[in-house]
Amino acid sequence: MSYRALLTAWIAASGFLLQAQEITFQATVDRNEIASGEPVKLSIELTNASAGGGMSTPDMGGLVVMQGPMESSNFSFINGRTSRSTTRTWYLTATAPGNYTIGPSTVRIGNSELKTVPITIKVSKGASGGTSNQAIDKAQQRDPNLFCTISLSKNKAFVGEQLVATYTLFSRYNSLQPKDYDLPKLNGFWAEEVDLGNTNWEAQLRTINGVQYRVAILKKQVLIPLRSGKLTVAPMTLNYMVNPSFFSSGTPVRIQSNAVDVDVAELPSGKPADFSGAVGDLRLQVTAPSGQVKANEAIDLSLTFSGRANLKLLDAPKLNLPPDFDSYDPKVSDKITVNGSGMSGSREYQYVIIPRHEGTYDLGPLTFSYFDPASGSYKELRSQPLSFSVGPGDAAAATTGGTSPKVDVQRLGSDIRYIRTGDLQLRPKGKFLYGSAAWILGMTLPPALLLLTFLWHRRREQRMGDAQGQRRRGADRVARKHLAAAQTALEKNDQGAFHDAVGKALEGYFADKFNLGVAEVNAAMIQDKLGQMDQGRTAAEYIALINEAQMARFAPIVEKPSKQAYDEAVAIISRIESRYRK
Amino acid sequence: MKRLLLPLLMMALSLPIAARNAPAALLDQAQEAYAKGHHQQALALYDSINTEYTSAGLLYNIGNCYSKLGDFPRAILYYEKALRLSPGAEDVQANLDMERTKVVDRMNQRPAFTLGSAWDRLQGGKDVDQWARRSIWASILMAFFAGAGLLIRPTYAKRLLYGAAGIALVASVASAALAAYRVHNVEQRSEAIILSPSVEILGEPRQGSTRLFILHQGTKVDLLDHQGEWQEVRLPSGAVGWLPTTSIGVI
Repeated sequence: MSYRALLTAWIAASGFLLQAQEITFQATVDRNEIASGEPVKLSIELTNASAGGGMSTPDMGGLVVMQGPMESSNFSFINGRTSRSTTRTWYLTATAPGNYTIGPSTVRIGNSELKTVPITIKVSKGASGGTSNQAIDKAQQRDPNLFCTISLSKNKAFVGEQLVATYTLFSRYNSLQPKDYDLPKLNGFWAEEVDLGNTNWEAQLRTINGVQYRVAILKKQVLIPLRSGKLTVAPMTLNYMVNPSFFSSGTPVRIQSNAVDVDVAELPSGKPADFSGAVGDLRLQVTAPSGQVKANEAIDLSLTFSGRANLKLLDAPKLNLPPDFDSYDPKVSDKITVNGSGMSGSREYQYVIIPRHEGTYDLGPLTFSYFDPASGSYKELRSQPLSFSVGPGDAAAATTGGTSPKVDVQRLGSDIRYIRTGDLQLRPKGKFLYGSAAWILGMTLPPALLLLTFLWHRRREQRMGDAQGQRRRGADRVARKHLAAAQTALEKNDQGAFHDAVGKALEGYFADKFNLGVAEVNAAMIQDKLGQMDQGRTAAEYIALINEAQMARFAPIVEKPSKQAYDEAVAIISRIESRYRK
Repeated sequence: MKRLLLPLLMMALSLPIAARNAPAALLDQAQEAYAKGHHQQALALYDSINTEYTSAGLLYNIGNCYSKLGDFPRAILYYEKALRLSPGAEDVQANLDMERTKVVDRMNQRPAFTLGSAWDRLQGGKDVDQWARRSIWASILMAFFAGAGLLIRPTYAKRLLYGAAGIALVASVASAALAAYRVHNVEQRSEAIILSPSVEILGEPRQGSTRLFILHQGTKVDLLDHQGEWQEVRLPSGAVGWLPTTSIGVI
């Protein structure tokens, strides 16, 4: 076998082997999600086949080609196996967020046509986003070989909202030696450095207005505006030695970046009472011991705020503890990272609170308000309601021997007293009992009744008084009638009838005169009624006359002549009549 | 006729009491709204009750609603109204004192009646009709005693009854006088609270006349003369001037 034949055979064999290898054609990207402005690397690789007519450039679906295509070939022989591949690479980017689809690329191998699978790239709004092209253009015009820009993630922000400032260096020089730099003084911002490690040139060149630059991120800062108004990030000044060599230290170049303005808006009105300046997106986690705790024993209460916010500027939230609790300033532990997207992480406040007395304390939920710039509104974080059941402490009992130290009752606040509940004793407006018809009736009716009673009483009295008066006035007349009868009996000489009539005249007269019944007429009554008259003589005479008349009526023994008895009776009656005339 | 009169009298006396239960449902709603912190709603409900009915408690509750809504001049106005109906009521006085601390104008409050709470109690506290009722009872007692004295025989008891009737008569007249005084007190329109945030007191009842001084909301003034839309007022210091009636609320 000649050498040539051998070589041919080997090539044929290898060709056969080569044909036996699987042919692949695929497109890959280094990542599927990028922020706008960031590069994405697209590689289309054909293995184990020759591109021949060449692979087609895919439809980039709106993505902008920063660099490329670059083609590279690879041939390897490993363990007796040969493989080769051809790769075309692009660096793509997007200026606006959205979903972009890279279309298929095709290649013709022999009779068959191979296609890559389309790839979707999701572009989000970049944190370093809008490096305004205008600013870059201006900087480029100042010095097209070396310039520096400052870009902000946002040009409008609320007080306390986080911004990311990126300081970028663009260079066309091969060699660059930094000498010194002057960092702008930040007025009205709280600044937090982002640790970028060593400053390195970015792997990709960037093309600006057709000129390719090497790019390095010099510095990133998280800026938090502390006051409202128009705040300015002042320009940064850098001094470089350009193209230093063994023989010269290079040419000094001084560059100055652009200045950036931020419109900082005041937080909207309607701040909650417990708002203390937290801005961002926060969550709150509260850990507290549950169940029984002891008096005079420390309780650990921990509040953890986590999220993306100006965590380092947070004020320790005030616990509204009852005065029976002692509390100390909280211990703060931070797990905060500052990176290109801002400040995030968590901050934990550890409170030590000590209940001094037994009892059940309901502290209610802890609340904390923050401002959410994304929605432009205040939001409230609210923990589970806290309640402690404090049991008797060992130490207190031991030291005070059962008596508690006395403390003044503390006034915590003042409020108006509560409304009256229950019966409000409502009454119709403007109506009073005084002056009403009921009142007038009530006031006049009793006196009216009294008047009626008085009139009725007087009339009755009058009527009664008349009967007696008539009897009294008639006493004389009746007596005269009896005496007339006595005289008639005397003329007829009828002694019995005469004395009977005289007795009747005397008794009847007395009874009528003093308004008595005839049966009531006796010596005692006569003495009583007539005792005062003529020192009792009239009474005695009267009694004697009645006695005589009675005696004479039943026993016809006459002591004195009837005529005398008659005259005496007439005389005494007229005497009494003249005394008691009325 | 006489048998009819007594029940009629009793009925007439119980009339003002019967009105109490009328707007119970509204009251319950208002109470509930206030308890939940819906002060605006509670105020509207109380106000609707107040169009026909009144009481110290109701006015006090309205004052509380205004206080919670931050309208302290009206709170003061309603507390003052409540005090008219219930002199010396402790809750009302406490809240009034608290609201008065918000008043800007420094005024020397005229000293309260020196007898203080004893006088308030004598006036009948929150029971406006107390003395009117007592005058009626005294009148009934007077008639009863005098009637009894008239009918019994002239003895020592008769003289005692006449004496008692005389005392009852004096008591009735005195009670009626107190009742009249009380109603006058409640009904008088002699004081007002400034409701406008600030109001200029002018020398004449005419726009553009000399400005004498400026008063601020919550200050209490005495009412004097009245002319169209102008009201003459006197301050505790004795200064007198005119202001528009729209700027004040009469107690």
